[in-house]
Amino acid sequence: MPSGYISKDKRIPLTELAARISDGASVALGGSFLHRGPFALVRELIRQNRRNLEIIKQSPGYDIDILCRAGVASRARAGIVAMEGNFGLAPWYRKAVETTTLELEEHACASLTAGLRAAAFGVPFQPCGGLHGSALPALNGWQKIEDPYGSGQTVFVIPAIRPDYAVIHANEVDAAGNVRIFGTSHWDRIMSRAANRVLVVAERCVDTQTFVDSPETTLIPFFMVEAVSICPHGAWPGSNFPDYEINYPAVEAYLENSDEALRRHLENAPEMAIEGNRSEVHG
Amino acid sequence: MDEQWSGFSYIVTNLARFIRPNEITFSGVNSTLPMLACLLAKRAYNWDFIYINVAGGVDPVVEHIPLSSSDPALAHGSASIFSNEDFYDLCTRGRMDLTFLGAAQIDGEGNVNNSAIGSWHKPKVRLPGGGGGAVMLPTANRACTWRTEHSMRTLVDKLDFLTSWGGMSGVVTPIAVFVKHEGRLALDSWHPEVALDEVRERTGFTFDASTAKPTPIPSDNEKDALATLDPDGCFERDAAIKLR
Repeated sequence: MPSGYISKDKRIPLTELAARISDGASVALGGSFLHRGPFALVRELIRQNRRNLEIIKQSPGYDIDILCRAGVASRARAGIVAMEGNFGLAPWYRKAVETTTLELEEHACASLTAGLRAAAFGVPFQPCGGLHGSALPALNGWQKIEDPYGSGQTVFVIPAIRPDYAVIHANEVDAAGNVRIFGTSHWDRIMSRAANRVLVVAERCVDTQTFVDSPETTLIPFFMVEAVSICPHGAWPGSNFPDYEINYPAVEAYLENSDEALRRHLENAPEMAIEGNRSEVHG
Repeated sequence: MDEQWSGFSYIVTNLARFIRPNEITFSGVNSTLPMLACLLAKRAYNWDFIYINVAGGVDPVVEHIPLSSSDPALAHGSASIFSNEDFYDLCTRGRMDLTFLGAAQIDGEGNVNNSAIGSWHKPKVRLPGGGGGAVMLPTANRACTWRTEHSMRTLVDKLDFLTSWGGMSGVVTPIAVFVKHEGRLALDSWHPEVALDEVRERTGFTFDASTAKPTPIPSDNEKDALATLDPDGCFERDAAIKLR
């Protein structure tokens, strides 16, 4: 099998994008807290009743919370988890860890990045600055090594973290899967380089010429992308700069503690209104 | 005497007072009060500093102050986007002058627990986690934190878990400002409406207070700056910070 994805039209419905992720897979999710996360895809995984996913993200929040709430996630590697704003802790995530239904590998954000960098660089481990004195290295079995070049410094080395999938929510793609993000790209770039397969949800599809006009703004080139889904407002109830901000009332409604609230939240999500994305349900 | 400080203005303003001229200063996720402190310092003081934040902003011109301290609004007017990987690398290579980091529990050396209350493996409360703390606290030139509750359960003799080591240079609560002195947190000043004995009674670790004094009241510039950042008092209401 070739190393890249040569197809010039990779657009598929959201249901099919989600169906590519199998039970038990490890999935790196782009964005940070309530900002530009691939939340439409996360919700679709719930609708398709996926199980035993490992979620990899430096700063998850709504995504890991709803996946815990629906029983989809069983493992997480994360640095900080919260709903942010005025919402505080992520309640279903917290409950899942406290009842050990979610196995947590606690990272500092940068140690998770170091593991992803190791995978991206094609090496078995990656040094990570800091971590001295913290109980996290012992907890995770991270080794400390001496500088082999004799500076006398010691550094912790983080084993490679190679997610099965990276799922990114982007502002723009073209049909071939070139990816553009406005504002900060959070951790999305290193996730896309570390993962075995890259799936993208985008607000809109634009002409390839738009990318050709400013190629330096392309975060991920098409050949690294396996498939894309066009899903306007897919980062709801979070923000997607510059198109929309966090929908705080929708987050508040999500946090209501009832099965009915979750059902309503999933039904009211923007992807449900997109023709083509909901026409065929697989999985 | 009119109340000069609310718990909210006390924390935001005293965090801002840790910011120094010309330095690179960072505010991150889940950090509404430090975000406001950085924006206050930009407005209140007659010197400049380099403000970078987790939204990628570098000296942004923030028109709309967001609820979320990682909101893209914090990059408005920025001439560059300094990504997450960039500011961590800046810190580990020793060029972060001041970073604000969250803390659930703080001990007398200024180390922090952000992981769990109770045992890590069987937590009574699973906390958010330290984010950048374990990497940034030992590598930043200075780090400061804040707690909206000053109590024996937040300022402790022994942490339930040592998430981040390296010792905060400054800690601000609704009633006290601590600074690191020879490896221990020492009381720098206390809220003028609270007695020094009360600070001791509500702190779980022992501390030196030999040079401490009541906290200087906010300057007009500091008060005006905070008023422009929170004209309707929304942030103050949301923060709901009580002295006791």
